Amino acid sequence: MEKDLARIALFAALIAILGLIPAITLGFGVPITAQSLGVMLAGAVLGSRQGGLAVLLFVFAAALGLPLLAGGRGGLGVFASPTVGFVVGFPVAAFVTGLVVEKLHRLPPGVNAGIGAFIGGIVVMYAFGTIGMAIVLNKSLTEAALLNSAFVLGDLLKAGLCGMLVAAIARLRPQMLPWYRAPVSHIFR
Amino acid sequence: MISLSSPVRTWAHGWRAGTKLAALCVATMLLFVIGNIGFQAAAFAFALLLYCLPGMVFLREGLGHLRVLIPFVVIVLIWHLVTGDPAGGIKTIMRMVTAVALANLVTMTTSLTALMDVVRWMSSPLRRLGVSTAPLEIVLPLLIRFVPVLTLRAGQMHQSWRARSLRRANYRIVLPMMLMALDDADRVGEALKARGGALPEQEN
Amino acid sequence: MAISSADSPVLLEDVGYRINDMPVLAGVSVRSEAMRIGVIGRNGSGKSTLARLIAGLLEPSEGQIRIEGVDVYKDRRAAIRTVGILFQNPEHQIIFPTVGEEIGFGLRQLGASKADAVTGTQKVLAQFGKAHWQDAPIHALSQGQKHLVCMMSVLAMRPRLLVLDEPFAGLDIPTRMQLTRHLNDAGTRLLHITHDTRDLEEYDQVFWLDRGHLRASGVARQVLQDFTQEMVRIGGGDDLSLLAG
Ligand SMILES: Nc1ncnc2c1ncn2[C@@H]1O[C@H](COP(=O)(O)OP(=O)(O)OP(=O)(O)O)[C@@H](O)[C@H]1O
Ligand SMILES: [Mg+2]
Repeated sequence: MEKDLARIALFAALIAILGLIPAITLGFGVPITAQSLGVMLAGAVLGSRQGGLAVLLFVFAAALGLPLLAGGRGGLGVFASPTVGFVVGFPVAAFVTGLVVEKLHRLPPGVNAGIGAFIGGIVVMYAFGTIGMAIVLNKSLTEAALLNSAFVLGDLLKAGLCGMLVAAIARLRPQMLPWYRAPVSHIFR
Repeated sequence: MISLSSPVRTWAHGWRAGTKLAALCVATMLLFVIGNIGFQAAAFAFALLLYCLPGMVFLREGLGHLRVLIPFVVIVLIWHLVTGDPAGGIKTIMRMVTAVALANLVTMTTSLTALMDVVRWMSSPLRRLGVSTAPLEIVLPLLIRFVPVLTLRAGQMHQSWRARSLRRANYRIVLPMMLMALDDADRVGEALKARGGALPEQEN
Repeated sequence: MAISSADSPVLLEDVGYRINDMPVLAGVSVRSEAMRIGVIGRNGSGKSTLARLIAGLLEPSEGQIRIEGVDVYKDRRAAIRTVGILFQNPEHQIIFPTVGEEIGFGLRQLGASKADAVTGTQKVLAQFGKAHWQDAPIHALSQGQKHLVCMMSVLAMRPRLLVLDEPFAGLDIPTRMQLTRHLNDAGTRLLHITHDTRDLEEYDQVFWLDRGHLRASGVARQVLQDFTQEMVRIGGGDDLSLLAG
């Protein structure tokens, strides 16, 4: 129980730190940050419940005015800006990522995490993000989706990265993944 | 940790946080319900006035927080010029900027503790139903404490990488960072347990 | 066998602990009335595991542990009044961003009201001559100051036994001396784990752990002397390449 609380808090902090990693700019000028990778990882590593709660805590703290979002943003203004949908969708994305990963726990650990990150971190996240942007910018859903599509490539890369990272954890510290049943030979190296 | 609070003390600091939040909710709702461009312009001017009142330092800081909106302003402008509806574009932009500016205003003039008190007050029905909100009083401080701690460690890790490699660390540092955070979490959980961390709340 | 609360305040009966069926501790029995107890042993000998067991953070795989008659693993509410623990790294121990909140937390955990916790916190700070630390942000403190905050937070809860797991590693000599003085003045029973035998010279009783077993126990002077001789003997060779398990 205490360990769960600590994991939730520290993963929320980790997501904030990932927002500090300088954004890599893809060829055509769209910056991608590691923050949404953190959201995917929260679900894929901690599982649906804890991962969702970690990201919920992160968003809650940002709403209270802590500058945790990528680029040092935070505060209530975030919830009136065009990216509101993404921020609101963060916890749901982590939860769904975790849910998929748990359902597919029989697949190799990197594969299920990659699929989970795709469904939770991309499909769900963009659904929220597009709706939010359509409302704030007063556009139709199709138009908003078009605006957001510029970021999809970066997020596909991140979903792949999420899969690779989870595969590495399964190899190095299998006991850290609550949903993962390591083959016995892995525990006794 | 640095927060987004105002560099100077304003009259709005004295207002009750709950009142400010309620006013913000109403204002945002009106902005999105009333489409009239005259109303939007008036609201925009009002927000600008609020930013000017506390003086130059505050204004500069406040406008700085709004810079993140510039790309969206540009996109919407271009979009509406192309579709031949510049007035609609201006309206959308004013509404967005006003809404964000007002929300930022509340954040800048309200302390974290005051906001937490509002949250505590709003969650009191939950407590009456027997849901414990005590975990929130532990995880939020923990988060606030560990952001600078992990930032420092990330910096050290980055240096240790640079000391032995010519290549940039970037994404490869994510794995060790994550393992470190998870390891730390286990230690912290233990220390928390040692002091009765998740015991059910006692009545006094 | 039945254990009555009239028994020794620090009591371990044939305690064992296994991780994945690998024994980390085995057959450890301790019975001590001493006010200052020392524990020494090489890296990986099981000292930290012992500390966590005594603090009730781990459940023994075999045997029983009673501190002041309390089953510290099962009865957590009594345990936090009975045993406090200081870890090596204060970063892992501190939960709150300011000194006052950190100390107040433990008092609240013991059931103090908010107002009482504030008063209690101020009292503890004043006792250590640090009344002005109340609102100090933890991240701005030096390593030694963080250690002191941890110590104040734990002592504020007035535990009957304080477990110290190498709390002074990496501190300079004056800081160590000051912290040691605070500990000795606290009037609490101490169980101190360390690699520095000088810390334990004045202690009443010292236990030597060796690969999960108690190798020796007794008055400080004799045990420390044997230990140092053995360590120097091993240090002359090279056993770093051996891997356990
Ligand atoms: N979580 C764990 N998983 C696997 N093995 C562990 C774990 N914790 C401890 N061990 C093993 O148990 C043994 C005792 O560890 P412990 O940390 O108690 O030693 P220690 O005496 O405190 O060492 P040090 O002086 O280095 O702090 C070691 O061999 C260690 O490898
Ligand atoms: Mg140890």
